[in-house]
Amino acid sequence: MSVCRPVRCLFASASLPKPPSAPKRSFHASAPRAARKRRAHYPSIKAEDLNLLNQAADTQYPKYDTSETTLLEKRYTPAQIAAIKAAETAIDTRDLVTQSQRRSDPWLLPYEDDLAEVDPVTDHAEKLDIKDIPGNKSFREVNDVERDEAITLLANENLAKLFPDGIPEGEVSEDTVRQLEDAMGTALTQAVLDPRATMRIEDDRVAATLADPRYSMVLPDLPRIENRMVRQTRRLSSEEEEDPRQKRLLQYLDWDKTKLRSIRCKTLVVHGVTNQTRMGKIRSLYYLTIAGNQDGLLGVGEGKSVEPEEGRKQSIMSAIRNMRPVPRYENRTTFGDLEHKVGATKVQLFSRPPGFGLRVQHLIFELARAAGLQDLSARTPRSRNKMNVIKATWEALCNQKLPDEIARARGKKLVDVRKVYYGGSVH
Amino acid sequence: MSLVNLAHVCSHLQNASKARLGLTSIPVSKMHVNLMLGLQREGFISSVTLGGTAPPQPFLLQETVDPEAHEEMAQKLAEQPWAAYPVPGSLGRPAGTMLEGREILHDVKVPQNPARRRLWLGLKYWNNEPVLKNMKLVSKPTRRIWLTSEDLGRITRTREAAYVKGLTHPGECMFLTTDRGILEARECVERKLGGMALCRVY
Repeated sequence: MSVCRPVRCLFASASLPKPPSAPKRSFHASAPRAARKRRAHYPSIKAEDLNLLNQAADTQYPKYDTSETTLLEKRYTPAQIAAIKAAETAIDTRDLVTQSQRRSDPWLLPYEDDLAEVDPVTDHAEKLDIKDIPGNKSFREVNDVERDEAITLLANENLAKLFPDGIPEGEVSEDTVRQLEDAMGTALTQAVLDPRATMRIEDDRVAATLADPRYSMVLPDLPRIENRMVRQTRRLSSEEEEDPRQKRLLQYLDWDKTKLRSIRCKTLVVHGVTNQTRMGKIRSLYYLTIAGNQDGLLGVGEGKSVEPEEGRKQSIMSAIRNMRPVPRYENRTTFGDLEHKVGATKVQLFSRPPGFGLRVQHLIFELARAAGLQDLSARTPRSRNKMNVIKATWEALCNQKLPDEIARARGKKLVDVRKVYYGGSVH
Repeated sequence: MSLVNLAHVCSHLQNASKARLGLTSIPVSKMHVNLMLGLQREGFISSVTLGGTAPPQPFLLQETVDPEAHEEMAQKLAEQPWAAYPVPGSLGRPAGTMLEGREILHDVKVPQNPARRRLWLGLKYWNNEPVLKNMKLVSKPTRRIWLTSEDLGRITRTREAAYVKGLTHPGECMFLTTDRGILEARECVERKLGGMALCRVY
């Protein structure tokens, strides 16, 4: 290797012709990529220009307008209003749109409430005292003439309320006459009991408080209570003509028919069984059915009867009755790997990433679909007895150990890293 | 350092949990002590005490200051906080004695003979279930497994590495012996340490 070679190269470079920038001859019939004009299918608009996020944030979380701030000033002290304003400015509403999510942990409040309205069930009814009545509270008792006038007026008012279409006139049937007499009696009694008939109040505002339920000594009407007892005694048109077994099931579950219709049932195992007696063999059919609402409820039921339909119905009813909650991670898979053994059958269930699918054998597939699991894989390394596989899977799914429980048992803080990494927007 | 004893400890803890024992004992060795302290740090066991063949006296049965005397002492210390510190030995008292607020040290009777010492562990239960349900060796006496911090990173993210299955059960822990002592796998990943895998617990 000569030392002067690089020098020669330097000298030579000036005289050498430069290579053409593009190859002279193309080997393809179509134009090369650079030559083609690249056009987008739609004009590209910058995200800032589109302004969608800002609009969404403004509509979902609007700023306080002046009327609202005046209302707030009536309610809160200046220090509290300053705190509210500081909190409002500290949180970017766009962050609320993109990052915030609803709580889904087991310790969330059992109801949804922004605490803006008074709920008659959970909150105390607002009560006002005699001190809250504005104006002059003096009144005087009326004389007989005034009282009779007032009673007539009030009785007419009450009668008009009972017959909004006008009092029937002309030839009327006996029923109507009796109804009219009853109504007149009622109206008159109401008018006599009305305080306006016996006393005269000077101030109109004070008179108005008589009709205000907040001043009433008596508690307001109890709200309609939705509970089991009320629902059982109430008759719904949808509950008519049903078989007694289903009726009992609905009573047991405290459900109505529409809710029962959303349950998916599937009979997975059918086989004949025989009972050997001294009279001979009694053949009957065994059914194993699963039931699930595809949203975290799963049940397994068995039925056996000489009549095939009877046995099937038994199994369906017991499956629905046996439904138990299945905890699901991100509403799609299990919390970690599970293992359960029933008899000689061992079932291993493995949680899988999103989009993995249900790569499991057919029985476990049906169970997972009924429970609403979407990503799962499984192994049944030992016996694959159908009934035991189903029972073992069901028990494994229902008896999962939740991270919250583990954290409490160990006294440690456990964090779902996936949830933190994706800012909670994982499902 | 044989792992045979550790294997025995693992099965013993599983058996003791299944039998719902509140307190159990294992033979003492430096590795056992450090591993049990690691288990306590992770919340699997409630207490680790060195003792003899008989279990150590429970806290409630040990001698305590009665509440009135405790109150008096607290008042006196509030007025004269310096009474909590040892005084120099010039005033007729031996050096190092404190006037008040002496810490009560419960003496656990540890036998002189090391062969008679045992390590007493308090087991934990929650919701009628043992907290420590499963404890298995990873390295075996005949086949030790050393893991690098990269392997551990993969294992703690539930992937398999170096023929060791990932930590897929919820709340599963793996303990390793490293040159910085016995540490949990996630701690090793944090400190970029490798080591010999001992056992996995959940």
